[in-house]
Amino acid sequence: MAYIEIDNLKYRYPKTKKLALDGISIQIEKGSFLGVIGRNGAGKSTLSSAIIGLVPQFYKGAYGGSVIVDGLDASRTPVSELSRKVGLVFQNPFNQLSGAKDTVYDEVCFGMQNFGIPSDEMRRRADAMLEKLGIAQFRDRNPFDLSGGQMQRVAIASILVLQPDVLILDEPTSQLDPAGSEEVFKVVEQLTNDGITVIMIEQKIDKIAKYSDKILLLDDGKMVTYGTPSEVFAESEAHGVIPPAPLRLSRALNIADENNSYPATEEAAVRIMNGKVSFKDVREKERTTSSEEVFRIENLSFHYTEGINVLHSVSLSFDKRPTAIIGQNGAGKTTLAKLMKGLLKPSEGSIFFKGEDTKAKTAAALSSSIGYVFQNPDDQIFKPRVLDEVMFGPVNIGMSKEDAERKAIEALGLVHLENAKNRNPYDLDLHERKMVALASVIAMDTDAIILDEPTIAQDDSGKNLIARIIGELAEKGKLVVSILHDMDLVATAFTRVIAMANGSVIDDGKPEDVFRDESTLMKAGLELPHVASLGRKLGSESVLLTDKDFLESAFIRE
Amino acid sequence: MKSISLYKDNGTWLCRVHPFTKLMYIAAVILIPLFLHTLWAYAVAIALDVAILISGKSLKRARALIIFSFTIIATIFLIKGLFDGDNITPLFSLGSIVFYKEGLLKALRTGCVIINMLLSFSILVLTTKPEDIADEMERHGFSPRLSYVISSVFSIIPQMMGTMDTITDAQRSRGMETEGKLSVRMKAFIPLITPVVTSSLINTRERAIALEVRGFGAKGKRSYLRTWKKHKGDKAITILLIIATFLAFIWKIITWLI
Amino acid sequence: MTAKDIFRTKFDVASIVLIPACIGINYIGKLFASALKLPLWLDSIGTCLGACLGGPIIGGICGAANNLIYGLTTGDSITLIYALTSLFIGFFVGIMARAGFMKSFPRSIITALVAGAVAIVISTPLNIVFWGGQTGNVWGDAVFAASQAASLPLWLSSLFDEIIVDVPDKIITLILTFLILKALPDKLTSLYDASDEVERLD
Ligand SMILES: Nc1ncnc2c1ncn2[C@@H]1O[C@H](COP(=O)(O)OP(=O)(O)OP(=O)(O)O)[C@@H](O)[C@H]1O
Ligand SMILES: Nc1ncnc2c1ncn2[C@@H]1O[C@H](COP(=O)(O)OP(=O)(O)OP(=O)(O)O)[C@@H](O)[C@H]1O
Ligand SMILES: [Mg+2]
Ligand SMILES: [Mg+2]
Repeated sequence: MAYIEIDNLKYRYPKTKKLALDGISIQIEKGSFLGVIGRNGAGKSTLSSAIIGLVPQFYKGAYGGSVIVDGLDASRTPVSELSRKVGLVFQNPFNQLSGAKDTVYDEVCFGMQNFGIPSDEMRRRADAMLEKLGIAQFRDRNPFDLSGGQMQRVAIASILVLQPDVLILDEPTSQLDPAGSEEVFKVVEQLTNDGITVIMIEQKIDKIAKYSDKILLLDDGKMVTYGTPSEVFAESEAHGVIPPAPLRLSRALNIADENNSYPATEEAAVRIMNGKVSFKDVREKERTTSSEEVFRIENLSFHYTEGINVLHSVSLSFDKRPTAIIGQNGAGKTTLAKLMKGLLKPSEGSIFFKGEDTKAKTAAALSSSIGYVFQNPDDQIFKPRVLDEVMFGPVNIGMSKEDAERKAIEALGLVHLENAKNRNPYDLDLHERKMVALASVIAMDTDAIILDEPTIAQDDSGKNLIARIIGELAEKGKLVVSILHDMDLVATAFTRVIAMANGSVIDDGKPEDVFRDESTLMKAGLELPHVASLGRKLGSESVLLTDKDFLESAFIRE
Repeated sequence: MKSISLYKDNGTWLCRVHPFTKLMYIAAVILIPLFLHTLWAYAVAIALDVAILISGKSLKRARALIIFSFTIIATIFLIKGLFDGDNITPLFSLGSIVFYKEGLLKALRTGCVIINMLLSFSILVLTTKPEDIADEMERHGFSPRLSYVISSVFSIIPQMMGTMDTITDAQRSRGMETEGKLSVRMKAFIPLITPVVTSSLINTRERAIALEVRGFGAKGKRSYLRTWKKHKGDKAITILLIIATFLAFIWKIITWLI
Repeated sequence: MTAKDIFRTKFDVASIVLIPACIGINYIGKLFASALKLPLWLDSIGTCLGACLGGPIIGGICGAANNLIYGLTTGDSITLIYALTSLFIGFFVGIMARAGFMKSFPRSIITALVAGAVAIVISTPLNIVFWGGQTGNVWGDAVFAASQAASLPLWLSSLFDEIIVDVPDKIITLILTFLILKALPDKLTSLYDASDEVERLD
């Protein structure tokens, strides 16, 4: 009998018609690493809730089949008891906090107190975990004053210290910098060696392929396949999951392994492609250049708490090229964005928008020309109806009700949410709320738009949609600045990249140039886009950003 | 985010006193004068409060806590002194308006009750960390749910203040003027209240799920990060206070019988 | 709707986290009232919300806990005395809500009047015992002084004082409560529907 037995699991949320889970039957062995993938709304989070018993005990609704965890019936065993065995890290870290502790350290210890772990043991585990996840220096900070990624690390730590037998992580790295998410995957994989069972829900397909023993592909509440990476990715595309770069590229070049399946991981791909392909160096990409200056930032410094500078005299200038800001968690990206938007005022230095110093102007006055989409949509959404939310901006900057509504509907159409216009935003899923937030800014039709990690919680089609929107806005001659941790999107959708670390800009230029510089990647906790990484491993001189670049440059050796 | 608690660890002995001892003191210092029912008892009680606050280096901050009550007390003196039903013997008069002895005495008593209460509570409030009260109650057998409610209140209010700021940001970042003249800021205040309240209610749902998966309310014994080492003085004082209160109570009974 | 339905209460985690949130909301309400210099308390919005979502028992707990916690920790120890009032406000608003008196705007006004009545009945004696009959609210106390000057009995003047202060306050409070309830997402409200069991699909 397997450690976790799920048999014909069916579930429907209250006040809904559609089954969120429909006939899931899988067995999960102790100490295995299971990857769960699928498009938005496929049922991944619901499945994780079912394994820890929140479904149906907390959510109620309609339930069928059975989930047995190490002999315990998950639908009956109280969640607080089951959570001794099963640890669940949420999709949205903000929701993981107990709300009763005012320092990171106490927050991390909260769960251990409930389980009666002796205080010295508690301290040992907490200290070790804070070190491991690189948040030790924030131990006495209020968890709500952390950056998105730092908060996500706290959320992960608070569950890992409980040392559960089963660890479920629901997109735990959505807001982490590349180095950080690699670290999390490593830490979690080590746990499997100690017999801990890991269930990882992720959109980061290349990592899933690299670390999973088995992968479960869900779509529309049903299980499509449950097998090895190459089995699953053979058919994942039809279900909204684009296969990892190595598989795409080896397939395109038609280089299969001995039992002619295509490699899903970089390692495997390098093994079989090495020596078979070589690269002619690609000609310099010709890109739309722009000289028209939109923002000018002059030795800008900022601190939240006196004496602790978060930005150190940053000097930048933005023209109309779509620009990505990348860099490690806590580097100061969001802070910079809020300063440009006028939500924060510089401690030193100044910011000019189209030549005018923004210091004198209020955020509201700037809002008609600068748009900002918050990192956490729940920080931005405050109306009980989607349409009102999206209309709020346009009306405020003086559009007539009719125009505002037209613009709003238009914007909602752009993000495929026109049917949700009368719903309460908080009845929508995270990825949809993220889109509502985006729409509510697009509807204002500003000259400059700043997006703070727009791809959080988005599946591949969502990411493509965002990439397309960014392109269209740029077409219209608007400046798009986007903060991102998704290097693949950076590589495909942006013509300029700014890398930040510890409150300073450490690199700035064309994507290929920024990514070429090893030391930058190191300092800013970045990694190469997956295509470029494979290219480099196979000995390509130039940085190959997209599949297209790769396939143009690569040729099979006879 | 700053807490709404007035606690400040100024390193004096008063901060080391166990919360329960302080609570017992409050009970005693409020009940005893009530039983003895004489003004001098209040005088002693208030003197005691003040003495403790001084040696605890907290009198200044205590003053801030009681100042607001003075206006109320003043009006009590005014209204009672002038209009109280039992007024007979005039005490003094300002021009045509006459103040009466009975009314003023009543007012004086009420005033003492209020001041004594405010002072004795300020001893607890100014020198005790709310979370400590919560933890100690839990460790002495109260339900963890109760202590969660208490300590959660103290982190939830700063969070709501934070929410206000984020919502303000959300609004002004989309063109609603919230800065500048007082009138503007006033106007900006009103559209804040429903969002703040709804969002904090919505958070309760997520919070509940978070607590569930983090073993809140799991059976079996719990453990604590910090442990409060009781001073032997705590015990002695508590016992003394109980005895004193009891004696006062006896006194009350006796005077009431004869 | 039987009495059992009206008083049914879930003491699950969801209800526990509801309580501090409501207490916090009371505080925010008070903050708004003082910041906007309104002649109202607005310090029972949370209690009413707790009552409407969690039922009379939770409502009562929210109310009482509210005054106890603030009284014991923020130095505003006067509020301790009125724990009783808050308790009953929460309790009765809860009953009204479960009986369907928060479903429409006019109905919520009726609830407001009930709440006001409860406040008056409980607070007046407390005012008399502790304050010699005053509420500490300027407008109310003006009336109190006037009626004392007209040598009306103490309890009556104190009653007038209370009415002037509490009725308008409770009306505004429950209007706000009504609007907020309307704005809550189903995902939240379905959480507090007392009457829901897991339906089996097999
Ligand atoms: N609390 C809820 N109430 C009602 N319906 C819900 C609730 N949570 C999720 N759903 C619905 O259930 C389905 C599955 O949602 P779920 O969150 O499990 O998908 P997911 O695979 O986690 O998606 P994502 O990748 O966006 O996290 C979706 O149609 C969603 O709208
Ligand atoms: N409200 C706050 N009070 C105090 N410090 C803060 C606050 N918000 C952010 N910080 C700190 O400022 C630094 C920069 O935060 P910021 O949110 O700009 O980082 P970021 O680059 O956006 O990180 P992430 O990629 O995780 O979102 C971090 O060290 C963070 O801890
Ligand atoms: Mg999910
Ligand atoms: Mg950020």
